[in-house]
Amino acid sequence: MQSKPRFLSILDTVTAILFVVAVAMVFFYAPLERTMGQVQKVFYFHVATAWVGMLGFMVAAVVGVLYLTKNDRKYDIAGLAAIEISLVFFFIAIILGSIWARPVWNTWWTWDPRLTTATIVELIYAAYMMLRQGIEDPDRRARFGAVYAILGFISVPLTFISIRLLRTIHPVVIGNSDPSAEGSFSMTGPMKTTFFYSLFVFSVLFVDLFWHRIRMGKLAAKVEELRLKVSS
Amino acid sequence: MLMALFQAPPDTTGYMIAGFAVFFGVMLVYLVSYFVRFKNLRQDLEVLQEIDSEE
Repeated sequence: MQSKPRFLSILDTVTAILFVVAVAMVFFYAPLERTMGQVQKVFYFHVATAWVGMLGFMVAAVVGVLYLTKNDRKYDIAGLAAIEISLVFFFIAIILGSIWARPVWNTWWTWDPRLTTATIVELIYAAYMMLRQGIEDPDRRARFGAVYAILGFISVPLTFISIRLLRTIHPVVIGNSDPSAEGSFSMTGPMKTTFFYSLFVFSVLFVDLFWHRIRMGKLAAKVEELRLKVSS
Repeated sequence: MLMALFQAPPDTTGYMIAGFAVFFGVMLVYLVSYFVRFKNLRQDLEVLQEIDSEE
């Protein structure tokens, strides 16, 4: 296994610095929202984690197409890496949303279109991880993973547009909220800066984790290859 | 109307702490799991390379 690339070490450091600045901005720069109080600060990371989740699922669909056209195992490794990271971030987004909803909607959970579609997305990709484990042949597993990632991605834009098309209590951050939405607020300048900065930092964090996870995927492929060779 | 403007924001600090605790907790678990899996794979590779060279 090759040693850690120097640029990856630099990216780790840059990501850590950017992340610390994002946390500081959330707590010390973004003003307190008057109607929701401190819990509104969860919003910056809630949206950013959901964004990373959707970004990773999109990357997995793209590399899925690349795998099917080029038949190169590196795309399967990248797809698995993207889905694993996105599953973690999307899970955090759902939990943070639930924590935010308790004081704002007066309930931890409601089967609103956004919450329901987000749960379906999480379950679809959790099933991807489980089903992959059941296929021993690496080529069949990669083909299955690519097709699944492409089909599974249909659920992601549906989740994104659900609050824009359907009647919902979930607020829309960019664009007009449904009149029945609860917890909407107008962002002030520092709130917008913190919000967009968080989205940027989480995107960089995704790239950093994605690179690390691909390295691990390559190592796992090498171990699997050697194991098959030794056992035969 | 004027009274509403001077009302203090609700105290939702506990929910905010819970939210960030979940975020950092899940991230920590994921990162630890990543490092453990990476370390185990490296050990597996070393053992398999040893067996392979013996054969």
